[in-house]
Amino acid sequence: MELRFDDFRSKVGVDGLHQTTRTMMATYETNYNKWCLEIAKDFLTNFVDANGESKYIDILQDVANRKTKVVQIELEDLVNYKDLDEEFLRRVTENTRRYIGIFADAIDELLPEPTEVLPDDEDDVFMTQRVVEGNDSAGASDPQKKMPPEIKRFYEVYVKASPKGRPFTIREVKASNIGQLVRISGIVTRCSDVKPLMQVAVYTCEECGFEIYQEVTARVFMPLFDCVSEQCKTNHAKGKLIPQLRASKFLKFQEAKIQELAEHVPKGHIPRSMTIHFRGELTRKVSPGDVVELSGIFLPIPYVGFRAMRAGLIADTYLEAMSVTHFKKKYEDYDLRGEEEEQIARLAEDGDIYNKLSRSLAPEIFGHEDIKKALLLLLVGAPHRKLKDGMKIRGDLHLCLMGDPGVAKSQLLKHIINVAPRGVYTTGKGSSGVGLTAAVQKDPVTNEMVLEGGALVLADMGICAIDEFDKMEESDRTAIHEVMEQQTVSIAKAGITTSLNARTAVLAAANPAWGRYDLRRSPAENINLPPALLSRFDLLWLILDRADMDTDLEMARHVLHVHQAKESPDLGFTPLEPSLLRAYISAARKLSPTVPRELEEYIASAYSSIRQEEAKSNAPHTYTTIRTLLSILRISAALARLRFSNDVAQSDVDEALRLMQMSKFSLYSDDRQRSGLDAISDIYSILRDEAARANKTDVSYAHALNWISRKGYSEAQLKECLEEYAALNVWQIHPNTFDIRFIDA
Amino acid sequence: MVGLPYDCLANPLGAVRSTFDKAMSSDSSAAALDGKDWGAAEVFRQFLFDDGGLSQVPWLSSSTMKWVQPNTLVRFRGMIQDMLGNEFYVGAYKDGDKWITNKFADGSHGPSDASSDVRIWERRLLYCTPVPGQNSWVECAPDAMRNPYISAMSPLREKRQREDEATESDADMVEPGHAIEDSPNPKKMREDGVAFEPFNLQKVVTEGSTSNSSTPPVERNSVSCLVKIYDSPESDLKLNEVFEFVGIFTFDPDLTVPIDDKEVMDDFCEDELLCLPPSKVPRLHCVVHRKLGPSDLVSSPHLELTTPVIKEIREALIGHLTAVLGGDRLPAEYILLHLLSRHNDYNVQVHARVDEVAVGKLSLNLTCFNKENMSVFGNNLKLVIGSLMPFTECLPLTVDYLNSVTLAPKKDYNTNRLVSGLLQLAEGSHLTIDETPLQSGTLNSGGLENAQVLRSMMESQKVHYDFTYYKMEMPADVQFLILSEGKSNILPADLVLPFHPSSVDPASGVDGEMLKAWRWYLATMKSLPHSIDPPLQKAVEDDLVAARQADRSLSREDFSRWLTMGRLMSVSFGATSLSMEHWQMVKELERLRKNRFQGNL
Repeated sequence: MELRFDDFRSKVGVDGLHQTTRTMMATYETNYNKWCLEIAKDFLTNFVDANGESKYIDILQDVANRKTKVVQIELEDLVNYKDLDEEFLRRVTENTRRYIGIFADAIDELLPEPTEVLPDDEDDVFMTQRVVEGNDSAGASDPQKKMPPEIKRFYEVYVKASPKGRPFTIREVKASNIGQLVRISGIVTRCSDVKPLMQVAVYTCEECGFEIYQEVTARVFMPLFDCVSEQCKTNHAKGKLIPQLRASKFLKFQEAKIQELAEHVPKGHIPRSMTIHFRGELTRKVSPGDVVELSGIFLPIPYVGFRAMRAGLIADTYLEAMSVTHFKKKYEDYDLRGEEEEQIARLAEDGDIYNKLSRSLAPEIFGHEDIKKALLLLLVGAPHRKLKDGMKIRGDLHLCLMGDPGVAKSQLLKHIINVAPRGVYTTGKGSSGVGLTAAVQKDPVTNEMVLEGGALVLADMGICAIDEFDKMEESDRTAIHEVMEQQTVSIAKAGITTSLNARTAVLAAANPAWGRYDLRRSPAENINLPPALLSRFDLLWLILDRADMDTDLEMARHVLHVHQAKESPDLGFTPLEPSLLRAYISAARKLSPTVPRELEEYIASAYSSIRQEEAKSNAPHTYTTIRTLLSILRISAALARLRFSNDVAQSDVDEALRLMQMSKFSLYSDDRQRSGLDAISDIYSILRDEAARANKTDVSYAHALNWISRKGYSEAQLKECLEEYAALNVWQIHPNTFDIRFIDA
Repeated sequence: MVGLPYDCLANPLGAVRSTFDKAMSSDSSAAALDGKDWGAAEVFRQFLFDDGGLSQVPWLSSSTMKWVQPNTLVRFRGMIQDMLGNEFYVGAYKDGDKWITNKFADGSHGPSDASSDVRIWERRLLYCTPVPGQNSWVECAPDAMRNPYISAMSPLREKRQREDEATESDADMVEPGHAIEDSPNPKKMREDGVAFEPFNLQKVVTEGSTSNSSTPPVERNSVSCLVKIYDSPESDLKLNEVFEFVGIFTFDPDLTVPIDDKEVMDDFCEDELLCLPPSKVPRLHCVVHRKLGPSDLVSSPHLELTTPVIKEIREALIGHLTAVLGGDRLPAEYILLHLLSRHNDYNVQVHARVDEVAVGKLSLNLTCFNKENMSVFGNNLKLVIGSLMPFTECLPLTVDYLNSVTLAPKKDYNTNRLVSGLLQLAEGSHLTIDETPLQSGTLNSGGLENAQVLRSMMESQKVHYDFTYYKMEMPADVQFLILSEGKSNILPADLVLPFHPSSVDPASGVDGEMLKAWRWYLATMKSLPHSIDPPLQKAVEDDLVAARQADRSLSREDFSRWLTMGRLMSVSFGATSLSMEHWQMVKELERLRKNRFQGNL
């Protein structure tokens, strides 16, 4: 009975009750209200948060000192409260609007004296006057003359829903949620201006001079005209009431519409929208285009006047906002949820995380394991470094995929953009007048010159994927030089000279110079990008479409399978969810690994050997510069981040070198064929050279593997080589560890 | 159930209420009925299907709307054009001691006492329009056939009609009291004769350019309707699907709404229904709905489904297409395959999208059309396709046209409605794009976007609906036929085929029975299942690898196309699995096509 009455009162309103039941219920209600008020007071006074502080008492003191106007009661705190009454909690969630009133009453009673001296403002003057008048007025029992508590309050009470669990989508909010506190997510599509909304109307009577108050709960109200005070009634004076705008209390009020996010809409449906009402301090928090999470009370508004006639018994609904949270899409602001943290910990323990993560990128694209690894490192990136003298060294990795048409370059790009929390996909040619960098444009309305950021500026702190890189406008290509190394866009146009941040990782895809890779020409001719640009890419990947029976068969099978089963073939593993991937990467990005002193020598020698090799070769494939060294460091740091380690290990450096080598693998394998060296003998010569350089006859297996993998060979090939040359008695192999000992001739 | 105490047809609300009372007497809490059906739907289903009441239910069209009584049962067929979200209404209230329901009604009777107990229920609002491009032969309102239409027409009349059309499209809503007599159906005309064909092209242009209003250009005999759906899962009804609804009709043309401009301006949260006042758009409280597949739209010719019969029909149809195409048989074969292609299956999700590749579609680009032969062959071809496929649309591609129209639907946040674009088409629609009038010119940004939308629709069978803050991909299943002079570069089709007519004989007349058989053949064969047996799969696999070894330029798309053609070929013979014979036929067709290409160069 108790419960039903409570629910019922809030939904229907008490006004229409029969007189008899009303009095009966009134006594009951008073008791019940008192009970609730006590619980609310108890909670506000005694709640202690995790830090051992009385959170709400502190807030109330701030309110008393006029430092804040908002008392936000978090439902989560109510749940954690030691003397929690389950019943009370349930009611707060299910009938929130009423309990906000109860909490406000409780706060009225609990509000401490201000501890600071406050200057009297206009409201206070009114208040003092009212209190004086109130004392000597006779008809204090008159409901319309009694001062409503709202007019005295200079704070607002909100109840915030628990942040646990998934928020509702708009279509999940049903009729059964009416009156409840719900949490929804969506995109703001429209916003009204902020307007004043009358909360308490105040009138003065011409005859008796009393102040008359009228509480306004709906959007439309009927103003009072005749004085209702005892004095006027007994005198039949019908005193004329004059509205007092300055004494009335107004609230800021804003309406907005939110719409479901595209990913929440089931296939073949139209996104739904919902009206949101913002009051007081919550106004001006959103603007169209914002993706927000709101908690609020889902309420019906009965139509009034003519619309009620037209609409019949249909109720319009809206959400009375209680809190607004903007979705943040930057890695830095990524908050891990509880379960995600666990999953990440489990993944991190798993040794094979590097492979696992990289395979989960674009799982439906067949093969290309090393490219996916490179893309994963691009997502992770290395920490930015700022030297004492103000010089900045970028941490973002730049990657260029170059290859024949139809090798799924664009799909890879698009997929990466989907995984990255902030990504912009553009094509070299397709970008508008703003282009890739920035442009000064004339605003058609105000005629002012405005600076409009292009794709690279928009992708600040994210990834910018540029397809058709080779077909880019020359002007944009020049501008990209600056973006890729200095990570800014400088502009000096139409009197505006400025520099915009563009801390973005560039992922480019390009076709070779003649559309397809021409094997008869040199790599430099095929690549057809200026060395200055090329050297800025940490990794340049060449993907060639080779005539190969196996791949053809694979393709034929795949197409057949797709046509038969109407789905992609089984992947053979379950890819990780993009959200988990994102969470893992964001966790990894929090680290900034450093290179330990003992590794410095190792890296330096690796770099110098690459330089030497290039000097020896007559047709170099790459332009190895000091940038290459930085690239090695960056890739190694990204690898260390993936392991959740603060130190770069030697294995990271080796993997970095291997990736750099693999990226041009297809070209090298060509070279070797031309020079007549097969893989096995090449491995032998690598090992021989390395051993000679170190002036040792012993080579550990791990070292050998490192060296050859840098050159792009597999472990199987190494084993084969070891066996073959052991049979020739060139070296001895340790039966258990596979360590190599050269037999000196 | 013996002797129903109510008449389902004339007093459906009585049926609703009596079942409600019955349910309430057994279980007295209205809360238990929240969002549930209490057996009312069952009663209607029994009346409509078991007792054969369906045929008595009148169709809702602009002509029947004049005499159909409110609160009676009607039938309506339409495409879901927009979804307006949920409507909360007082589903049941307590009047004294008795619970009264408002379900299936626009109930204006509220509880007499404001304090009484109420239950708020919800229903879904769908805005349904006539299917865009629906051809007049598609069976709908039987009385539509009675429509008198003028067989001979002066150019003056034609002009007047076009003016009518323009004003009507602007008016946004189909006027209920609109006189149909003097407005001959444009689509009918097209079927009617070749003599008026030169007008047709113009007609399409006008139709297109005035179609910016939220209702697509429609046959004026049909009406748009706001359908209210109760208690059915959300996944049942999707955008752009064609449905047949049976429901309770409410319409109040007398309730004119004096729209106070100031109120509208001030009121930010104006409800979306404001622009669909009950005085203009009829409401339908749906009791039963049924999704319509391709075979529901054609009448069965009562033929045995045997292989020889199918083969005979196929041969006759190809013969007819060949005659229409001036004696060129190869394009006729391809057009048949093209007409049988589909992207989505109607019952099971057979040809799903995989890896961004739309499987199962077969767009066709017939080249070597010029302005002269276009007026003969092109229009004949359009006519034939119009008489074979239920929903057809034509789109003349010109620079001005691309620059001016909106092809993709767009959300208008001011009215909270989805503004229909030309490419909001029902599943299984056929779209002919005529590229011959295309001249060189500059596309503006809108034109560029339109070209991109068209292209992505053709390549991936997805239309990007513009929701300002994001684009939403809506799946589509539309067959594309492009008629152009050279190979179309704006819209790269799966197949490019030069067209070589040899004679200019006008196509011989076809009798109605034959047409019916063809329609039935296309609709039925289209939805046949298909498989490839393992031994043949091996052979096909080897064939593909060998072909690629011989010609490096063959891509995944070519393989995919061949397999699609293989399926369509066997389906066109009524077979459900691929046979070597059909596979060889596909290869032969492709060889002929390639030859023709080389010959052309």
